[in-house]
Amino acid sequence: MTTATTTRTAARVTDAVKVYGAGDTAVRALDGVTVAFPAGRFTAIMGPSGSGKSTLMHCAAGLDTLTSGAAYIGDTELGALDDRRLTLLRRDRVGFVFQAFNLVPTLTVAENIRLPLDLAGTRGDPEWIDALVDVVGLRDRLHHRPSELSGGQQQRVAVARAFAGRPDVVFADEPTGNLDSRSGGEVLGLLARAAGETDRTVVMVTHDPMAAAHADEVVFLADGRLVDRMESPTADRVLDRMKAFEVPS
Amino acid sequence: MNTPGKQGGTSSARASLRLSASSLRAHKRRFAGTFLAVLLGVAFLAGTLVMGDTLRASFDSLFGNATAGTAAVVRGADTITTPGESQGVRKPVGTALVGTVEAVPGVAAAVPDIKGAGQLVGRDGEPIGGQGPPTLAGNWIDDPDLNPYRLAEGRAPARSGEVVVNRGAAEKGGLRLGDTTVLRTPDPVRVTVVGLATFGGEDGMAQVTFTGMTRADAEKYLTARPGQAASIVVRADPGVGERELVDRLTPALPTGVEAITGQESARENTDMIASQFLTVFTTFLLVFSGVALLVATFSIHNTFAIVVAQRTRENALLRALGASRRQITAVTLIEAAVVAVTASAVGLAGGVGIAAGLQALFPAIGFPFPEGDLVITGPSLALPLAVGVLVCLGSALLPAVRAGRTAPLAALRETAVDTSGASRSRAVTGAGLLALAVAVTLTGVLVAPSVWLAGSGAALALAAFVVLGPVASTTAVSVFGSPLGRLRGVTGALARRNALRSPKRTAATASALMIGVAVVALFTVFGASLKATMDQTVSRSFAGDVAVSTPSFGAGGSGLSPRLAPAVAALPEVDTAVGLGRGVAEVDGRGRALTVTDPAALERSFDLGAVEGNLRALGADGIAITREEADRQGLAPGDTARLTFTDGRTTPFTVRAVYGQSELVGDYVITRAAWAPHRTQDADTLVAVTFADGVGADTGKAAVEQVAERFGNPDVQTRDEYARSSAGGIDMMLTLVYALLALAVLIALLGIANTLTLAVHERTRELGLLRAVGQTRSQLRAMVRWESVLVAAFGTAGGLLLGTFLGWVLVRASDGASDSAFAFALPPAQLAVVALVGLAAGALAGLRPARRAARLDVLRAIATE
Repeated sequence: MTTATTTRTAARVTDAVKVYGAGDTAVRALDGVTVAFPAGRFTAIMGPSGSGKSTLMHCAAGLDTLTSGAAYIGDTELGALDDRRLTLLRRDRVGFVFQAFNLVPTLTVAENIRLPLDLAGTRGDPEWIDALVDVVGLRDRLHHRPSELSGGQQQRVAVARAFAGRPDVVFADEPTGNLDSRSGGEVLGLLARAAGETDRTVVMVTHDPMAAAHADEVVFLADGRLVDRMESPTADRVLDRMKAFEVPS
Repeated sequence: MNTPGKQGGTSSARASLRLSASSLRAHKRRFAGTFLAVLLGVAFLAGTLVMGDTLRASFDSLFGNATAGTAAVVRGADTITTPGESQGVRKPVGTALVGTVEAVPGVAAAVPDIKGAGQLVGRDGEPIGGQGPPTLAGNWIDDPDLNPYRLAEGRAPARSGEVVVNRGAAEKGGLRLGDTTVLRTPDPVRVTVVGLATFGGEDGMAQVTFTGMTRADAEKYLTARPGQAASIVVRADPGVGERELVDRLTPALPTGVEAITGQESARENTDMIASQFLTVFTTFLLVFSGVALLVATFSIHNTFAIVVAQRTRENALLRALGASRRQITAVTLIEAAVVAVTASAVGLAGGVGIAAGLQALFPAIGFPFPEGDLVITGPSLALPLAVGVLVCLGSALLPAVRAGRTAPLAALRETAVDTSGASRSRAVTGAGLLALAVAVTLTGVLVAPSVWLAGSGAALALAAFVVLGPVASTTAVSVFGSPLGRLRGVTGALARRNALRSPKRTAATASALMIGVAVVALFTVFGASLKATMDQTVSRSFAGDVAVSTPSFGAGGSGLSPRLAPAVAALPEVDTAVGLGRGVAEVDGRGRALTVTDPAALERSFDLGAVEGNLRALGADGIAITREEADRQGLAPGDTARLTFTDGRTTPFTVRAVYGQSELVGDYVITRAAWAPHRTQDADTLVAVTFADGVGADTGKAAVEQVAERFGNPDVQTRDEYARSSAGGIDMMLTLVYALLALAVLIALLGIANTLTLAVHERTRELGLLRAVGQTRSQLRAMVRWESVLVAAFGTAGGLLLGTFLGWVLVRASDGASDSAFAFALPPAQLAVVALVGLAAGALAGLRPARRAARLDVLRAIATE
């Protein structure tokens, strides 16, 4: 791992502003956020409810558009893309893990993993996918339907799907929100391993300090602004930092 | 737990009502398809009924006005009706009776009314009319009270060869006052148009053409011998009532002659039109509105089933909070009732609109629709309303009961994918039903021919298809969809899996289309079989080179001059020309059509199969009978058959020959000499011509054509042309059937679109996920469209299968029920077109749901609740 790759950014937003609604009822979900997610690192976005962390992720991932400011995946400015190009960008360069409902119920595990590749009509890298299946430990479940899997297994399939196309960046939105702590730990471990071992970038939104502790770095959001960053977080340090938000300053 | 007690009845009902109302308000779109399906079905039904009533009332008043001056009609009492004919042949009355009638006190005037077939030839050389309604000719009655026609222009015929023509016919043929043309009676008569007439203020009596001649001409050309008339019309002295007049006339009349009032006569005329045209027309339309409503049943059932499934959590919550089963069921039923009543009410208005539109449209296509207001009776509104409401409520009943059965705990469960449709017991029941259907049908068709059995079998087959639908849909969609995955990649695979998701729903959606396609396929197969039958008939039994005939249909046309055959036979190019005339008589107590011809020549131009006895020796007192009829009546050559003719005389005939095939020739053959004493207005229906040896087809045909031109220009056709033109009417009928069935297919299409829209709504999160991980909008649209096409493919395939089977049943049943042999034919090209239309309907139905799905907001779809 060279210095050049660590300082390259996989995704970033500059002066990001997102306003929902208009007039008196307008809500500024993002209020001038500038943040970069370095390539090859696992970054967690934390903040209390309503801090704008999910909005930040959606805008950075090209699922939502900014009111002003700019969002980049690599060097591609997302605001300049139409829906089709944005979709292709998500398909080819971004991976997603959502909190729930990650899998298409009519497709098997194997088909769900290959979904972005199949949508693109490419074969991808069979060896890579084969290795991924082993990493997430689902070889004996490949031909099952999602309804036959436990919640933790379903999220592991989602992780495999997110990495299947060797995306520039994987966005995870509360990936352990619906899981018990043991399953959650497995999924987070997977994300961290995938980021570390395969040199992929992972950005995760969470409100759980235990989850955030798996990341290389945590960025804290409050009221739509970036308020802090923490390198090599531990659960306790994150919890302490979070407590500060709850005390009205 | 609170159970709604007796005193709580009204308030609980009010609660159900309130829930229904709020649900309807919240989900207006969901019911749009149901609403339209009921609306279309009811509108069609109401329109048909209103139009039928209006037409009947119009004709009533038309005849009432036109024949107001006729107080009584004196005519032959007996008729002979042959099978397949609505109007019998009536014995004529002697014109000598006019004197007797005039002598009866109270009679102001009595005039013979001579009527026969007379087809005018238009300016372009083509005959006017003849495609259904009668083409009549008669004597022009000068007494305006006794003549239903009024002179509108010109004058009454005064000399031989002068005629008055009803204005509608004249316009159609481009004839004007002073024009000279030919009237086929069927002997061609040169006539000059000296007057144009109207009927009850209209240009004609519907499409009936009328030519009024002088009485001498009418007697000469329209009756077998002078001194005969169809009836005697009587005008009463002032103050003498119709009934009173008839009572006075009756004792004065000889036996076999009767008198009826003018009103009765007008009513008979209306009934005649009603039975010939209105009943057929309205029955036809009613059948199609029935098909449309049947199709609607499936669409409605499906919509409610889906709505109830989607509302499982909501209903479970209500149950947990203490709502009773009855209340939950009531909520759904009330919703259905509201949709049913509003849709039916709008449908009624639409139906009246359709009737008004047709009333305006008919004159434009040359059908003088008698003027008058629309007749809207209670029953013609109440019936469609009741049918609409019942169909809707009936279709919603099962889903409503299922809603009531929702367990309170269901609120806590994630709704799973419903695959219950493909259960084993269903497969077993369906297979059993299908086996029974096939067994019953085959018995009814092959073993013991019975229309009733065959019909029950057909109904059972339909039921079996519906029951088997969910089982079959799984297999069918897998098979149809398997190339899709390869051709369309993951989009196709997803479409296929989606269509397989809920076999019950897929089957119910497809069932609507299946029924529409089945009826289309049924008619297509039946039509093709009819054509094949005609083709086969002509090629099997027609041994001549050319056929001369007049294109006519129903009661129209006047046939061919009996002098044509001898004239053609006299040509050097021709070996034999034999004309087939038509007579009627009662044989064995039933009206029968007789073929009047030259039996010796008949053998040379028609293949009669094995002949026992001698056709050449029929003479004036011999008859030839088909093998089938001879067996039925136990007759053999040498036996005696007694024939009763329209003139009332019964004559013994000796059976001199029994022949094998009856197609084209008919069941009974007598000579012209035998027919002569009983004959009415003579006409041949067909002249079969065989060329002399060495005469080419073109030369021979040209020679025959030259002769034919002198006889009012009938069609001269080669064998192939003749076979094809015999089948020409079938294509016309099929076109009409297809146009009407478009409605059923439209409703089925609405059903598919509706189900898909609901499914898209149900799969919002899944679609959002697909979009998030990289499915483009066009891929998403394609996925929904392909799902629609797959469902349609299943419905179309089922419909083709069912329709072809029912077509086969119908052909075989007709074969058993009629004398002539029916051929069964499968038209691959037409059926392929039906299949393509079905698939196209699917693609079309998928357009809107696909567009809606593509407009989905990704973020909102993936946002967790």
